[in-house]
Amino acid sequence: MLKLEDVTVHYGATVAVDKVSLQVEEGEFVTLIGSNGAGKSSTLRAISGLEPVVSGRITFEGAPITNGKPQHIIERGIAHCPEGRRVFPHLSVRENLEMGAYRRKDRQAIRDDVERMFDRFPRLRERTAQPAGTLSGGEQQMLAIARALMSRPRLIMFDEPSLGLAPNFVEQVFELVTEIRAGGTTVLMVEQNAYAALELCDRSYLLETGNVVLQGSAQEMRENPDIRKAYLGG
Amino acid sequence: MDQFLQHIVNALVLGSTYALLGIGLTLIFGIMRVVNFAHGELYAFGAYVSYALVSLLGLNYFGSVLLAGMLGLLLGAAIEFLLLRRCKLENIDEVMLIMIGLMIIMQNAELLLWGGVAKVVPTPFAQESITIGGIYLSPTRLFVFCAAVVLLIAFYLIIERSRLGLAMRATFQDRDAAKIVGVNVGSIYTLTFALGSCMAAVTGALLAPVFVVAPTMGDLASLKAFAIVILGGLGNIPGAALGGFALAAIEEFGSGYISTAYRDALGFLAILIVMVIRPQGLFAIKERVG
Repeated sequence: MLKLEDVTVHYGATVAVDKVSLQVEEGEFVTLIGSNGAGKSSTLRAISGLEPVVSGRITFEGAPITNGKPQHIIERGIAHCPEGRRVFPHLSVRENLEMGAYRRKDRQAIRDDVERMFDRFPRLRERTAQPAGTLSGGEQQMLAIARALMSRPRLIMFDEPSLGLAPNFVEQVFELVTEIRAGGTTVLMVEQNAYAALELCDRSYLLETGNVVLQGSAQEMRENPDIRKAYLGG
Repeated sequence: MDQFLQHIVNALVLGSTYALLGIGLTLIFGIMRVVNFAHGELYAFGAYVSYALVSLLGLNYFGSVLLAGMLGLLLGAAIEFLLLRRCKLENIDEVMLIMIGLMIIMQNAELLLWGGVAKVVPTPFAQESITIGGIYLSPTRLFVFCAAVVLLIAFYLIIERSRLGLAMRATFQDRDAAKIVGVNVGSIYTLTFALGSCMAAVTGALLAPVFVVAPTMGDLASLKAFAIVILGGLGNIPGAALGGFALAAIEEFGSGYISTAYRDALGFLAILIVMVIRPQGLFAIKERVG
């Protein structure tokens, strides 16, 4: 479904992503793991069209999307739930959801989808008119995920969805991601918490300083001695 | 008492046009982070368009205001598309130099085209003031006030109620997140600059029969627009509207009760005091658009 071939991304003068190749099949749950600064976020940002790809190719469902404009990427069915939630702080919860459907034209269906999100996230319904910036971190993450779903994506990318959340919210977020995938949406997730990532996903790629150094099924990765030592605490 | 009420009426009329001028500038700064030194020149542009249409081509004043607004919209879009789009908005120095350059070019173009002699745009209204309970108000100024209030409301509705306004506010609050949900940030910038420029041009055209039209009018308009925007808090739209009325009140009451000669100086003195005491602006709660 999504294929990256030798994708290179620069971040200022440094190489953030160095000839990364990876693939996500339809219906799969794939994770990118690795430490801070390994190039995981930059990879997602390059797919979304937020960072220029210096060399290499990105294709989605066979069509080239390398250096596509962000608005065209989302129209093709790729949603991005960014690191740090990035909800619009002074827009109301409802307006945030509406912004998620910005590229869609089907007004009635958008309204129905907003209702559906409120059914799914009752805490957001209670805060419909509240500015998103006044929500708790966990609620903001729910909103960020709901906003990404509002574009009706076929592939959804999560960037560190558990970062900075209280433990009970972390569990909720991971449950939600699993649910979304079970609903038929393909998932590509960046996660520093390798333990959780490898519990949930089908396949995983380990990135170090911009390179894919290891890849395999979740089980293979969990059992790999290097990963156990460096990322799973022995 | 009559004198006091007269000052209030004058401040409201002047304030409504200051508010129009200020919100255009604050919108551009708030969303694009561009300090638009040419804002006053767009105001002058509107006034000259009105002069050309009314005095030279014999069009009526109302039509000239409408056309000035439309031409301001187009000119603003062209400036964004031809100049600003080509540079990184993060390079504040570069953008400032470009805007200062544009200001100089526009001002000299006015001088070249129309000469240095001030022009008068005839008003379509009666010259005699309306008198209500000892307060005088010329019909022209009454019209300017009404038109400005209508435009302020229209602007508010665009920002707060329309899909475009929602995208503008979202872009201001988080540019990357706006891109992620599919906002074409480039066209939002073009529309923002166009809308801000349109507001300035309309203000200039509206006021053309009230003041005289001269190539230096843009300078003072720019200065005042900045004063208004600083009073209200940079990027704060309701703040800029209130700032417009506040500056007008300071000028009006200052010149009425202290000295007419120091009218403009008093306004700027107030800005200095605000910058020392409340640098975030009089009405700023948080930095935001809308």
